[in-house]
Amino acid sequence: MDSDEEDFVFYGTPIAREDDVNTSRKKKSVAEASGQLRTLAPWKQEVRDEEGRRRFHGAFSGGFSAGYYNTVGSKEGWTPQTFVSSRKNRAEVKQQDILNFLDEDERAELEGQSLGTSSQFDTFGFTAADHARKHAEKEHQKRPSAIPGPVPDELVLPATDSIGVKLLLKMGWRRGRSIKDSHTDVAYDARREARKAFLAFSTNDAKTQLADSEPIHDKSENFTEQPASDDVQSSQNTPVYVLNPKQDLHGLGFDPFKHAPEFREKKRSRVSDNRGPGNKSALLMNNSLFGFKSGKAAPGFGIGALEDFDAEDEDVYASGYDFEETYAEDIDEPTKLIMDSKQKSVQKEAGALSGFRLASNSDYQLERFDPPVVPKDFVPHHKFLGPPETSYKLGDPGPPEVPPPQDNNLKLLIDGVATLVARCGKLFEDLSREKNQSNPLFSFLVGGNGHEYYTRKLWEEQQKRGDQTKLQLDGKLSPRTQKMTAESRGKILGERPLERSSKDLSTSIPSTDAIHLQYNLSDTFTDPSSYSEMPVVAKPFIHDTAKQERFEQFLKDKYQGGLRSTDSGRASHMSEAARALERLDFEAAAEAIKKGKWSKEISTSLTGGMEFTSGGFVQAKDTQAQDAIPKEVHVKRTEYQWRPSPILCKRFDLIDPYMGKPAPAPRSKSKIETLIFTSDSVKATKEEETIIVKRDSYQMPQPEAQGISKDAADNESGGEVEVENVERPVDLYKAIFSDDSDDEEDTSIPNEVGNPEKKAEAANTTLNRLIAGDFLESLGKELGLEVPPELSSSTNKAMNSAPPKETASANSRIYSTYSVEDSSTLNVPHGREIVQDRSSEKREPVNGNLIGNSARSNSTYAETASLGNQVDKNISEKGPLQDRKFKTPSRRHRSSSSSSEDERSRKRSRRRRHRHSDSDSDSSSDHQDRYHSRSKGKKKGSSREKSSSSRSHSKHHKRRSRDSPSRYDYSPEKERTETKRDKHKRRD
Amino acid sequence: MSVSDLPKKEVNVLKGHEGAVLAARFNKDGNYCLSCGKDRTIRLWNPHRGIHIKTYKSHGREVRDVHVTLDNSKLCSGGGDRQIFYWDVASGRVIRKFRGHDGGVNAVKFNEYASVVVSAGYDQSLRAWDCRSQSTEPIQIIDSFTDSVMSVCLTKTEIIGGSVDGTVRTFDIRMGRELSDDLGQPVNCISMSNDGNCILASCLDSTIRLLDRSSAELLQEYKGHTCKSYKLDCCLTNTDAHVIGGSEDGSIFFWDLVDASVVSSIRAHSSVVTSVGYHPKDNCMVSSSVDGTIKVWKT
Repeated sequence: MDSDEEDFVFYGTPIAREDDVNTSRKKKSVAEASGQLRTLAPWKQEVRDEEGRRRFHGAFSGGFSAGYYNTVGSKEGWTPQTFVSSRKNRAEVKQQDILNFLDEDERAELEGQSLGTSSQFDTFGFTAADHARKHAEKEHQKRPSAIPGPVPDELVLPATDSIGVKLLLKMGWRRGRSIKDSHTDVAYDARREARKAFLAFSTNDAKTQLADSEPIHDKSENFTEQPASDDVQSSQNTPVYVLNPKQDLHGLGFDPFKHAPEFREKKRSRVSDNRGPGNKSALLMNNSLFGFKSGKAAPGFGIGALEDFDAEDEDVYASGYDFEETYAEDIDEPTKLIMDSKQKSVQKEAGALSGFRLASNSDYQLERFDPPVVPKDFVPHHKFLGPPETSYKLGDPGPPEVPPPQDNNLKLLIDGVATLVARCGKLFEDLSREKNQSNPLFSFLVGGNGHEYYTRKLWEEQQKRGDQTKLQLDGKLSPRTQKMTAESRGKILGERPLERSSKDLSTSIPSTDAIHLQYNLSDTFTDPSSYSEMPVVAKPFIHDTAKQERFEQFLKDKYQGGLRSTDSGRASHMSEAARALERLDFEAAAEAIKKGKWSKEISTSLTGGMEFTSGGFVQAKDTQAQDAIPKEVHVKRTEYQWRPSPILCKRFDLIDPYMGKPAPAPRSKSKIETLIFTSDSVKATKEEETIIVKRDSYQMPQPEAQGISKDAADNESGGEVEVENVERPVDLYKAIFSDDSDDEEDTSIPNEVGNPEKKAEAANTTLNRLIAGDFLESLGKELGLEVPPELSSSTNKAMNSAPPKETASANSRIYSTYSVEDSSTLNVPHGREIVQDRSSEKREPVNGNLIGNSARSNSTYAETASLGNQVDKNISEKGPLQDRKFKTPSRRHRSSSSSSEDERSRKRSRRRRHRHSDSDSDSSSDHQDRYHSRSKGKKKGSSREKSSSSRSHSKHHKRRSRDSPSRYDYSPEKERTETKRDKHKRRD
Repeated sequence: MSVSDLPKKEVNVLKGHEGAVLAARFNKDGNYCLSCGKDRTIRLWNPHRGIHIKTYKSHGREVRDVHVTLDNSKLCSGGGDRQIFYWDVASGRVIRKFRGHDGGVNAVKFNEYASVVVSAGYDQSLRAWDCRSQSTEPIQIIDSFTDSVMSVCLTKTEIIGGSVDGTVRTFDIRMGRELSDDLGQPVNCISMSNDGNCILASCLDSTIRLLDRSSAELLQEYKGHTCKSYKLDCCLTNTDAHVIGGSEDGSIFFWDLVDASVVSSIRAHSSVVTSVGYHPKDNCMVSSSVDGTIKVWKT
């Protein structure tokens, strides 16, 4: 410690060596303990820890000592953490950083640290230079030099070599040499010395003077000790290349001395001879003497007497060869730079690195592209040659609206001028302004009376024109950019066009479309018919043949039909203005010819007024055409059943109109409604009228026993309606077996012809319907009921309206006996149901009616299929329901209001009747097959059914491939199923 | 109401939307207005003072329609992200998101009790969403349309939708029936007259048509504006005396309801006028445009 005190340390505390402290204390404690042990009585002895501290105290003096004086505090004491409410300052998620885990000193260290290259990888020597600079500064401070101030940076050089230098050194490069120098043999040095004596170039090149012998010495020396000299040296060994101007007539990169370097020297000497007078002639002499030998292989000779040295001899000797080398490079390097050709570099670098072989071909190819040739007459200014409407913008609000002038003539004139200007461009305005400067009528052109109105009008016209041209362009050039309407989009997407637009509103919309179209086309296309009417003999410009020719061309363009050509180049010699004027003339002439009011005077001088009025006339016609678009658009109202969900009704605070009625089964909903109903809704439009009837009937709450004693007319209409519903799974069979339609009857052919394209669709829908039917079956099974097989409802219909076949009467007669007994069995489930479950008398007549119906329908079947005796109970059951429901006011209203529609629908249904009866019989027989096994289990009429079904089998095979009508209307089907379900429910 | 009472004087310009504003709507009492646009935000304004109050951000794509409940407590909005957002107005938080549309949502409306949101979508359907329950499934899907449904209106008992398939369909919940009125032209926007007897349908043939709801009679056609490719709103004044519609050239047209004459037209915006909304009581109108501004018009 004494020695420490002697040290004059004023700042900080000397760090005591821990070892010293510990050992001394330990020694002390051990010594004391041993002493105590020896000297003191046991109760007087103190227990100390290994560091000599007393850890145990007596009970009165503190007991066991722990912590900081037996407290949890510290030297500074213990302060409880102050409470911080976390209500306001919620704990925040802190982004942890490395700084969070560092001590202050570590942080300070980190902050001072910046990314730098270690001296090991100091490629460019920056770090070394830095170090060197610091070092130099330090030294500079230590011993003051003659020059005050800091050492200039340039003087301080790095102490270490850059990695590049190191690598080069390892590869055999030595300082002071150019990198290219591959002559490392010692023998060469001697030769070089000798040659230096000979090749003493006296040049004014600065490089030579820099050369000295120092590099050789430097190599053996440490560079750190002589930074200044190093600087000089390093600047020396990077040769300064002087680009040689290209003075020969060879192509770029062509080196005539490539394979004969000897001649290069000769050439050079000749050049320098031509160039340099005086002492250069000596050089010439020398070179001419030894020029043929390779410079490098030249033996050493003395310095020529005639040579004149600027620098001292030593320098010349030292640098002579170096100079030559750089001199050689002076030639080579620029060419190499320019050429960038691979042979050159191959030649240059061949053998540059031992152990490496140059690639025979390199994939480095520099491709050059010539810049585009700018035409000589190109003026870098864009002129807008087109009419001003091209610059028309939508957002341009245009000049304010101005009431037209009082004078009607003036207004007409202004309108005409505006139209023409809009059509022909601004030039026309200038022209007419020039022309009519004195005319007071045209004062509006120069800001006089009506000028504001004119500007407004012009703007409007331009807008209009802009729209039209846009439209034309769209139509003509790029159908893709055409504005997409819903229908065109649909067309592109392959959607079926909305039927309403093509059929229902055929009176209004298409006609308006046609007019629209015509109107739009009139600007682009013209009908050729008017050309034929055109008197070809009319030659208004007969005195000017060229003009007449142009006029005829114009007429041809105008009336030939087809695309109207833009201004052709045939009159290219004419100015824009002249062309516009002529075009106006032509227009007017053509107009006049067309109107048959041609007179000679127009040809001689077409006054502006004439043009204007004609323009105005055209305009008026246009507007007329626009106005002529008929206004009336029929709004077609159709009505459908729609079932709101109970929760929706609840949320709307309404009573569910379908409350108490069974909810549509989820499966049927998902499968049927989403797939079929939506897909069919488009098609349904055609059958709207009849559907309406049904829907109307459904919108009515269905009372248990509504008036059944209704007139037969309703029955009939009900039957008619049901004709629409009778698409049967026949379609499916048709779709599947449509190819085996060899034994088809000829009756089915028209149907097929009519609807070949809908087969796939038909298959889909019928498949879905089959699914629905299956579902209903299973539902019926669950309910323990017999689900009546589906039947065609067209039966009533067929019966009601005149049966078409001649065999009808006979067949029906044949069948009559059959049906009389059969009807009871056929309709057994039905009858049973009604009799058993619904024994009210009110139902009875219906039943009777139904049976009668079915019997009659069976007769119809007999006439066509002779075996359609398995009447669909489903439909026949629906018949009466339908009948009941037809007594709705809306139905009546409908029929009264649109009797024609009913008429039409009736006709349509009649037209379809045959098909339906056919297909229905098929389907019913098919269904019979399917239901056969099930119905076998039934006691009543099972034998009959069997027999009939067997018969139907035979028939079925013949007929199943028959085509069926492709008209599908699913919604009634759905309704039917619903009613069926309703029925089941009620029976329950 | 005379022509001079039409709101043709620009009072305020509400700027804030970045990009096109697709809809601007007054609230029930007309003190505030809501707008939504392509910048995926909904903005609440005081149009009379020209103050921007609040911005609602959550939509992932453009917001095409917004509607506020009668008590001003909730918003619903729908847009290109196929979702309907149910917002709390005060906090600006999304209470619920209804997903289910297979295409962008073109229009949304609350019902009278703010218990149901009905949305019209590009997927050819109208969907009703229950705001009371936690379920985010639609309680009703109406898919009888055959093309994109552009607009929806609600009455106490009916849902009315206008579609590109050219139909205006009325779904009567009380009767359980659907009335389809075929206009023959793609319907852009429908709006109800204040007496509830008529429907104004803006069609894509640059015509606005007035329909009688009970008889489906075409009462009047209003022409003169341009409406060919954008969804442009139309509305009636609060007195039902005039029809207002935007045009694609940036002007707003006023027609007389009865004789269909263009009473006035103003150059309102520099670009397509997407939406017009009329004050429920005063002579005040808001219009929104593709140029990103909302303008407030008064007499």
